[in-house]
Amino acid sequence: MDTKKTEVQAATPEDQGRRKFLNSAAVTGLAGAGLSLGLTACNKEAPAPAAGGAAPAAAAPAPKAAAHGKHDVAPGQLDDYYAFSSGGHSGDVRIYGYPSGRQLKKIPVFNTDCMIGWGVTNESKAIIGTKPNGQLKYTTGDTHHVHMSYKDGIYDGKWIFVNDKIHGRIARVRMDTMECDKITELPNIMGFHGIFPDKRDPVDQAINHTTRVFCGAEFHIPLPNDGRDLTDPTKYGCLFSCVDAATMEVRWQCRVDGNMDLVATSYDGKLAAANQYNTEGGAVYAEMMSSEHDACLFFNVERIEAAVKAGKFVTIGSSKVPVVDGTKKNNADPKTALVCYVPVPKNPHGVNISPDGKYYVCSGKLSPTASVIAHEKVLKWFAGELKEAREAVVGEPEIGLGPLHTGFDNKGNAYTTLFLDSQIVKWNVEAAIKAFGGDKNAKVVIDRIDVHYQPGHGFTSMGETKEPDGKYFISDNKFSKDRLLPVGPLHAETAQLIDISGEKMVLVHEHTTVPEPHDSIIVRRDIVKTRQVYDLAEFPHGIKSLDESRVERKGNKVTIHLGSQAPQFGLLEWKVKKGDEVTIILTNLDKVEDLTHGFAIPKYDINFIVSPQETKSVTFIADKPGVYWCYCTHFCHALHLEMRSRMLVEA
Amino acid sequence: MSSKLSLSRLLAAVVVAGLLLFARSTVAAPAALAYEAVLPAELASDPDLCKHVPCGSVIPGADRFSLRKGRPPYVEAFASEGDRERLVGYVFLSTDIVDIPAYSGKPIVTLIGMDTKGVITGVRVLKHSEPILLLGIPEEKLVAFVNQYLGKVVGSKIEVGKGHDSEEVIGLDAISGATVTVIAENQVIMRSAMIVARQVGIMKPPERPPVQYTDVPPLADWEAMRKEGAVQRLTVRSEDVGVAPVPGKPYIDIWFGYLNAPTIGKAVLGEQNYRRLMDELKPGEHAIFLIADGIESFKGSGFVRGGIFDRIQVAQELDTYTFRDLDYQNLYSVKVPGVPYYRESSIFIIRDAGFAPAYPWNLVFLANKLDKATGNREFVNFTREFWLPDRYLVGGRPHYERPLAAWEKVWRARALEIAAFALLLIAAGVVYALRDRLVRAATHKDKTPVSAPKYALWGFSIAFAGFYLMAQPSITQVLTWFHSVLFKWEWELFLSDPFIFLFWWFIIITVFFWGRGMFCGWLCPYGALTEMSHKIAGYLGLKRFQRQLPAKVHDKLKWTKYWIFVGLLCVSFYSMSLAEVLAEIEPFKTTFLVGVWNRSWPFVVFWLVIFAACLIVERFFCKYLCPLGAALAIPSTFRWWGLKRKNECGPCTACQSGCESIAIDDGGRIDQRECMLCLDCMVLYYDEHACPPLAKERKQRTRAGQPLTAIAGNGYYIPLVQVPATPAKEEAFVPTAPIAAARAEGFLARVYGEIKDHLLPWNRQVFKQPLFLQAAGIALAVLVTWVWLLGAAGKLGPGVILGWWLAWSAYEVITRMSCKPFVKDGPWWDNNFRPASWADMVAYVGFKNLLIGAGFMLFLKAVGALAFLHGIPELRWLY
Repeated sequence: MDTKKTEVQAATPEDQGRRKFLNSAAVTGLAGAGLSLGLTACNKEAPAPAAGGAAPAAAAPAPKAAAHGKHDVAPGQLDDYYAFSSGGHSGDVRIYGYPSGRQLKKIPVFNTDCMIGWGVTNESKAIIGTKPNGQLKYTTGDTHHVHMSYKDGIYDGKWIFVNDKIHGRIARVRMDTMECDKITELPNIMGFHGIFPDKRDPVDQAINHTTRVFCGAEFHIPLPNDGRDLTDPTKYGCLFSCVDAATMEVRWQCRVDGNMDLVATSYDGKLAAANQYNTEGGAVYAEMMSSEHDACLFFNVERIEAAVKAGKFVTIGSSKVPVVDGTKKNNADPKTALVCYVPVPKNPHGVNISPDGKYYVCSGKLSPTASVIAHEKVLKWFAGELKEAREAVVGEPEIGLGPLHTGFDNKGNAYTTLFLDSQIVKWNVEAAIKAFGGDKNAKVVIDRIDVHYQPGHGFTSMGETKEPDGKYFISDNKFSKDRLLPVGPLHAETAQLIDISGEKMVLVHEHTTVPEPHDSIIVRRDIVKTRQVYDLAEFPHGIKSLDESRVERKGNKVTIHLGSQAPQFGLLEWKVKKGDEVTIILTNLDKVEDLTHGFAIPKYDINFIVSPQETKSVTFIADKPGVYWCYCTHFCHALHLEMRSRMLVEA
Repeated sequence: MSSKLSLSRLLAAVVVAGLLLFARSTVAAPAALAYEAVLPAELASDPDLCKHVPCGSVIPGADRFSLRKGRPPYVEAFASEGDRERLVGYVFLSTDIVDIPAYSGKPIVTLIGMDTKGVITGVRVLKHSEPILLLGIPEEKLVAFVNQYLGKVVGSKIEVGKGHDSEEVIGLDAISGATVTVIAENQVIMRSAMIVARQVGIMKPPERPPVQYTDVPPLADWEAMRKEGAVQRLTVRSEDVGVAPVPGKPYIDIWFGYLNAPTIGKAVLGEQNYRRLMDELKPGEHAIFLIADGIESFKGSGFVRGGIFDRIQVAQELDTYTFRDLDYQNLYSVKVPGVPYYRESSIFIIRDAGFAPAYPWNLVFLANKLDKATGNREFVNFTREFWLPDRYLVGGRPHYERPLAAWEKVWRARALEIAAFALLLIAAGVVYALRDRLVRAATHKDKTPVSAPKYALWGFSIAFAGFYLMAQPSITQVLTWFHSVLFKWEWELFLSDPFIFLFWWFIIITVFFWGRGMFCGWLCPYGALTEMSHKIAGYLGLKRFQRQLPAKVHDKLKWTKYWIFVGLLCVSFYSMSLAEVLAEIEPFKTTFLVGVWNRSWPFVVFWLVIFAACLIVERFFCKYLCPLGAALAIPSTFRWWGLKRKNECGPCTACQSGCESIAIDDGGRIDQRECMLCLDCMVLYYDEHACPPLAKERKQRTRAGQPLTAIAGNGYYIPLVQVPATPAKEEAFVPTAPIAAARAEGFLARVYGEIKDHLLPWNRQVFKQPLFLQAAGIALAVLVTWVWLLGAAGKLGPGVILGWWLAWSAYEVITRMSCKPFVKDGPWWDNNFRPASWADMVAYVGFKNLLIGAGFMLFLKAVGALAFLHGIPELRWLY
């Protein structure tokens, strides 16, 4: 026991050295050559990686081994939590079970999926959006943030919303089927990154659930972006968008100075926040880092909507969405201002609100600090009771290098991912405020733990609700390097589960994620309630029994009404003529849970699935004469292989 | 002795073999019998039911049948009309729908047809295992019984027995002697039809007013909920389903409760999840929860294949609710403090407005039991009732009358007769208990004080118990008892016939009080019938032909009945049904249950021969053939109060020569195994004119002019000279010299002495035997202990257990005869012994070991030692 301890202590300095090396390498990698100017703050802090002071990370090379059994999920047992995770530029949303880290599902959203038939079926095409010729408008997407709708400050298990950064779209996934049901393209924006549903109506406090979703835009573009002002970035602009959660229509937009990165919303519904790393409105990153301070923006939802109602808006280009003016110039008087710009150290990343609704934590990224902004003070600024917006900052602890995202537990502690330090730091919010107020004895940083490597987002179980349980923190890491079996130059990423129930953080286990998740939420399992099968009545164009399977022809339009019931399709064969426009409407008539059928037509590039009691359709031109065995692709029955029928295309 | 035994054994063998052949031939003769008919194995599972059974025979006019459909399954019957076909009714197999065992413990497999209006169109018994219908009652009677249902409408109140006929109840003719069988079959037909009628919509489930729940605040913890009945527990042990137990874990241990009641629902789910679940439920839907631990799952995997959970059901009266996969929801946590550990937790939704939550319902766990001996699997149900606590319901629990069990129905329906019969039995007991007065009042010449009550009892017994109630005890019951004691005791089995049940309690008590003669000589209907007939025949002039067999022959032949009994017992371990066939050696069934005129000629001939023999030789059947008498004679060895004897009874043969049972030996001893307690010798005992020693004294006293004092309990005149300080108790003379056993005083020492005496056959004597014999004895003791352990661990079949029991008993008998050659005489709490004859010793050892074995097994089971033994891995190498 003793010898082991000695070894650990001996290893620590070396390890710190390694991390220092890593840090500078990473900073270099991040900042690029010749940009040391912009990194002065970093460099100054670099010799003190344990910036929190007295509590150095008890970083042994091997992480503190947890009593693993406690977190094991035995065969047949269910996980305690769902985690909904973005898939990054895979364009999808993933569902994991925690604490096991088992992946449960991939929900195709902005991408296409040939297993489910997302992008193949008429229904999914209608949601994704098509060009006039019927082809999909986009087949790529970049999801970053998933957030669930709220009720009474807690997840309500109804919807999750997710962004597409590439094409500026917002998608909604209904939680009862865990399928995307709506996609809306935001007008006049580019680089839609941060997204967050509101939690309460700012005016009618009785509406204590999600009715809006706020969307930040990162990239400045000409408004409208129709070819004008291509070379004059000063005329570019960024719009903050508000989308109606129920209709998915864009309610309004707000033009701001600078850009918007992550978004957070207050529990009382009054404010939406967005951190800003390009106050400068620069077009290249050198310009973006030129100012010492960037900002955290606060939108006064009530005032913006009043302005829209009062007709104080413009529209841009062909968009009908009212756009209000939130620029600094036109919001000089706090008492009427729509937007409050709270200065924070340069190039922040991430803004998160504490579960008690009192504070926003806006991380420094290029500054080793996190800024704690008091909700109450921002409201005071809007009331004209603060001289400077900066006065809303009530704490700014130094917590480590490259702080990005912050999660919260139920004991007033914050957990921030340190990208450069490759650590998670646990710090106390109240202590940080005391320290900021001059209390030298306030112990801000409580614990640190190494993660592997370079964490991006981190999030705690139920941490984005007013009922955080302080059980788990998950670190979604950006680099896995040596942690996993190599699978070629493209690595899988690691996600690491940390037990935060004690004073010390304990790494419980890690699992893989396929590139590249950004943000996740961890939701208590009892909040989510899914359907077991669909309801035939929801699909008026479906059939009710296998006997109703039939072929209908109108001119050259042929509709195949088809049922599937293990192990057979309703028609053993059907004939169409070359050149016919064929629509196949397939209903899965099985009413047994988990008995999904697939339907593939060789050479016609068609495959999709129908879950029990579900109806889906595909339309295509029968342009290739011959015999085509349509078969069930989703294992359904002992006679699954026999489950097929023939499409005969007459020449 | 060996020659004596072999003669009787030979006779018994001949009798049994003859019967066997005879039985076989009669059983095999009629072809269409449903008794233990072999049904195709696919019958239970093949969707095409009608491929295997004649569906058309129960629904006239139908020419096409669908596959099995619905749950529980039924078949639709169609009739062609031109090129169209019309649904004419439904056909269903009783075992698909209900699980109601009949008298045999097995179901009567019945095919039932019903038209679309719910009128029964046909009933056909495909298979039954009722022993009474095998030989006793012609099977046509069952056919006639089920044919009574034709034309009856499903849902009518139909009960067995004409006595029930009234406006709302339709009575059916029962089958005499097969009451339990027809009550069970009535339930089978009515319930199956009702369940199918409800399923196809002919009948609506009973409408019950909507339930309103009180919102009593949730209880503090699980224990409080358990106490109140807000949660119930259903535990199935591994032994119950024949699988190897895992120490510390039951097969399955389920806790469950009804969630719609807010007090339970909120406690278990929490306010929020309770709200959500209730919002989700449609009117008429009900949620229950289950949590379970154990080595098995209540979910199983059946629902994966067929979408239906095949291990649990909810049953309420006639309705059974099964759960589909879509009725299942995850139960993520139980929010009650102190909730037991669980491995599985679920919410199940009952989607049926017919379910009435205010009334009791049962959770049913369906298991597959493996019979180790045969390797067969059978389905067994374990149920546990749930009834919402009174205070959870607005207005409290509604009035509810539980449907009675079949046996309970019988008891209620025949309460008056049962009371009369009990009175008869009590009367017999009282009369016999007062025998001393009766025999004193009687004289050798005029036995009326004894005969009058006896003949009256005989009369009642023959007419009332025998012909009317058909309560003639039979050896088959002894065999059943024997099996039950050794293997599994089921009260219901014995309660199903109240008269036999009461009779047996009477027999057990009186055999130990006075010996088997109380039953055999005073109350056995057949015995009474034959002796009465014998007497009447004598009176009518057959007297000159009537005689006893010579004592020498009698003493050999009397053993025959014991061998018949042992033979039947052995056969019963091989096959109970065969033993029941062979038990036809008793003419009881022919006499009382069925009637001679109802039977085929071989039975009639047999019956006539026996009866004729009884007319000539008093109680010929009882003396030489009756296995029931033999079975009762064995414990009679230990009757507590015997008949009185005098010093002079040895040389004097007055009673011996008058003893019709030939039960008094030359030494004056009465063989209590043979004695019918006719009390003739006791009449003599007090008769100052007939009893030679008493007569002698009377003459002496008369001659001497001394007064004739009253006759004391010891059978002599009260002495004229007062003997001072005589013991208050009148010590009756015991003809066999008692063995004065020196016994320690004090309660514990006595108990120890008793235990030692009954358990260990050895004493010092054993060491005087040759070394080889000693070694063999020790080896046998070790072997027996080992085999016993195996038996206790459930690793040995009944045959082997019986084998060691016999082997050990044989060894013990021989050992005792050389070491402790005496048995207890009189009440067990006294300390009187008598020298044992071999028969005494066999009876003592056999009976004692049966009691010890059964008692020990029950004790081990009760304290959980059996489960412990089963679970010891160290013992596994033994098997």
